[in-house]
Amino acid sequence: MSIPFQLNGRPVSFDGPEDTPLLWVVREHFGLTGSKFGCGIGMCGACTMHVDGAASRTCVLAVGNVRGRAIRTIEGVAAEADNAVRKAWNDLDVPQCGYCQSGMIMTATAMLADTPSPTDQDIDRWMTNLCRCATYVRIRQAIHAAARSLKS
Amino acid sequence: MKGVTRSVGPSLGRRRFLEVAAAFGALLAVPLDPAVAAKGDADADIELTDWIFIDAQGGVTLGLCQPEVGQGSYTALPAILAEELDADWPAVKVRWVMGRDAYKIQFRNEKPSQKEGASTSTTKFYARLRVAGAAAREVLVRAAAARWQVPVSDCATESGTVRNIRTGATLPYGALAAEAARLPLSSTPRLKTPAEFRLIGKALPRRDTAAKTDGSAKYGLDADVPGMLNAAIALSPTIGGWLVRINNEAEIRQQPGVRAIVRLDDGVIVVADRFWQALRAVQMLDATFSPGENGGLSTELIDRLAEAGLDAEIGVTALARGDAPRILGQNPDQVIESRFSVPHLAHAAMEPMNATVHVQPDRVDVWGSIQSTDASVAVISKISGVPEDKVHLHIGFLGGSFGGKIAPDFVAQAVRAAMAVGRPVKLIRTREMDIQHDHFRPNNKGRLRAVVDKDGYPVAVHARVCGQSLFATTRPNWLTKTPLGDYDESMVDGIYNQSYEIPNFHVDVIQTPLPIPVYFMRSVGSSAGVLFWESFITDLAHKAGIDQYHYRRHLLRNNPAALKVLDAVAAAASWDTPPPAGTARGIAFDTYHGRGGSFVTHVAEVVELVRKGDGWKVARVFCAIDAGLVVNHNTFVAQIQGGIGFSLTSALKSEITFSRGGAEQSNFTDYPLLSIGEMPEVVPIVVESDRPPQGVGEIMVAPLAPAISQALLHATGRRPDRMPFRPDVFKATA
Ligand code: FES
Ligand code: FES
Repeated sequence: MSIPFQLNGRPVSFDGPEDTPLLWVVREHFGLTGSKFGCGIGMCGACTMHVDGAASRTCVLAVGNVRGRAIRTIEGVAAEADNAVRKAWNDLDVPQCGYCQSGMIMTATAMLADTPSPTDQDIDRWMTNLCRCATYVRIRQAIHAAARSLKS
Repeated sequence: MKGVTRSVGPSLGRRRFLEVAAAFGALLAVPLDPAVAAKGDADADIELTDWIFIDAQGGVTLGLCQPEVGQGSYTALPAILAEELDADWPAVKVRWVMGRDAYKIQFRNEKPSQKEGASTSTTKFYARLRVAGAAAREVLVRAAAARWQVPVSDCATESGTVRNIRTGATLPYGALAAEAARLPLSSTPRLKTPAEFRLIGKALPRRDTAAKTDGSAKYGLDADVPGMLNAAIALSPTIGGWLVRINNEAEIRQQPGVRAIVRLDDGVIVVADRFWQALRAVQMLDATFSPGENGGLSTELIDRLAEAGLDAEIGVTALARGDAPRILGQNPDQVIESRFSVPHLAHAAMEPMNATVHVQPDRVDVWGSIQSTDASVAVISKISGVPEDKVHLHIGFLGGSFGGKIAPDFVAQAVRAAMAVGRPVKLIRTREMDIQHDHFRPNNKGRLRAVVDKDGYPVAVHARVCGQSLFATTRPNWLTKTPLGDYDESMVDGIYNQSYEIPNFHVDVIQTPLPIPVYFMRSVGSSAGVLFWESFITDLAHKAGIDQYHYRRHLLRNNPAALKVLDAVAAAASWDTPPPAGTARGIAFDTYHGRGGSFVTHVAEVVELVRKGDGWKVARVFCAIDAGLVVNHNTFVAQIQGGIGFSLTSALKSEITFSRGGAEQSNFTDYPLLSIGEMPEVVPIVVESDRPPQGVGEIMVAPLAPAISQALLHATGRRPDRMPFRPDVFKATA
């Protein structure tokens, strides 16, 4: 049975079990590997994508639940010219190993859409993604920088 | 250091390079400059040295032999080459290279091998790469001078071109490469003076950032080989246990996509079309394992063993200066004693261990998140029977490692799976397998005893460390032999080679052999040793009623290089001004000695705790480091920021415990990582010195925990002595 949804603005459909995690559908069937596998239990956020704009941990999200919805991945963000969040990340050289950063950018983007001028406390509350390289100092700086540039 | 010579069989070496580069180009090429990437006519490359390849259009490719695990080698090492070469830095390409002697480094008494580790990427390659870049630049200049028929002194270089300083004519390197390649390379070319540096010592943007923010950076996890199958693994829950039988094999075989079940001595690999199918099937697996000999292994037992060692009559002496045992023995009532304990730790890099293997009769190709090149090649060759020179590793970016991806057991498992199915296989460990079957940082306990003089400074100290030996399992030939037995110096890192003046000093070690697989982890033994040592110094200063900074200053009074770093951190933190109410500080110092004397880096940290509600929180960390010349200030500062967060994770959270013969933790639920809200502000202080680059990546880790424990002593009156420091020790007492 086929499950249609939008992937970065393009209509796609997945033929396979409804309970397949969206992460693996996107990585293995649609070949977009920017979203990563870190824990498989919704703890780390490396697999974060947007589902109708909301940041979602897709290692624990069954593809059956996104029927007809709009999925956006890091590749979708990267396709936008002058994306303010990515630019802030690049300007501040946030990534170290980089493995968590797709998920970080997706979560930060969703936060800024909801909370355009986040306080440090807002950042602590939203950014529950994990980074083993502990790039948190620059992540915080990049979020504030992106917020400023989105406002102007 | 070896001078640069052209490799003995240039055609062979070159072919190997091109082969690897071509297969791997897609993995590591960062699309910063699509024009350069698209050109990619690799066959036109002309090799000037083992590291420098120029195509006819002038495109310069620099070889990278040290994996990029996050530390910034992908930027810093090519920058050293580009500096001396005077290459056009924004336009150069960077490619993974392997298989030549020039790429190998030697650790202690090992045979030279290609691998990343022990903070050596920059220390070991700085001089080598400068000579290579400068020698290549010289032959390009001589080729231009010959073309123009002018003396070489009339030629200058900049941004990938040679310029005739009299006529202003220019020739791009691409136009000169063929002639230059025929000229002999000097092994002692003129190197730039620091004043001439344009790249080294600056804050260079990372070359891999754009690819790491647009999803295009390829990690081992992202390998995609035609015809590839995917595999998940279940390993024996008991260390040393073995597979007895699979109870539901028929059921597993019928699961969608499942192609094969591969039995290992100690586990089961399920191979399927897709990873999610393999994962499902492995989660359904019902297998019986024999616990083997270690079924009774538990943390309680491990602790009891180590504690018994602390009180044993004698240990294996690692250092004996003066006569500490006699002085302590004669003054039993004056002995000050403290005990400490650290657990096993898992590396838990964010990218779980994985490898993709394609075995063919005459070659093996492996893509993966691999930190040690040569050790992996050896294992792959042994299992597959394909000679080592036919094993091709394609290493992309690593999603972290911290020492965890050096031990190639996960690579070996992927080779077995690929051989069993006769097709390329990607094996990904789940987080659970990655943590439970890691090679852990060993446990340790310490007992420190001292007698002090009338002012409270130590006259005699006896330090005893007891726990599992890292070297005994991983590097038996690194053990130090003594008449009383062998000892593992890493167990007393930061103690036996500490910097304070102590007239009578005795250090001994007792190993408690355990069957637990262990391995190097960022900052190695010093993550335990410096906690023990600096916390003990805290106790002595506290007892003496002397300020912690000034107590350490006194003990370092004849060591100006160390004092400079300690003073720098104290000044930055305004140590001599008492902290405001609701703030408590701690200070700690360490001189990190690279293994085998490979480098010396001084580090000092001040931690500030602030009162939050009914407890204390690590709010700010000042970190001063003298690591000689800093090649890239940008990544240097990033290493300090991230290293403090990494260390704080261990200080507050990380602990692997064992029961019934296996690790009890398995995912970020019970092996949690630091979150952004727990990350302190970090104030990096770069203390420059005119020494060549020293190790950086591990240095900031060790002093953090003792600085926290000292700040807690000031804040709460209690100094914790067990890692990790659980939330209760941060509870305010008043
Ligand atoms: S992989 Fe999805 S939250 Fe960790
Ligand atoms: S950058 Fe390495 S895990 Fe975040």
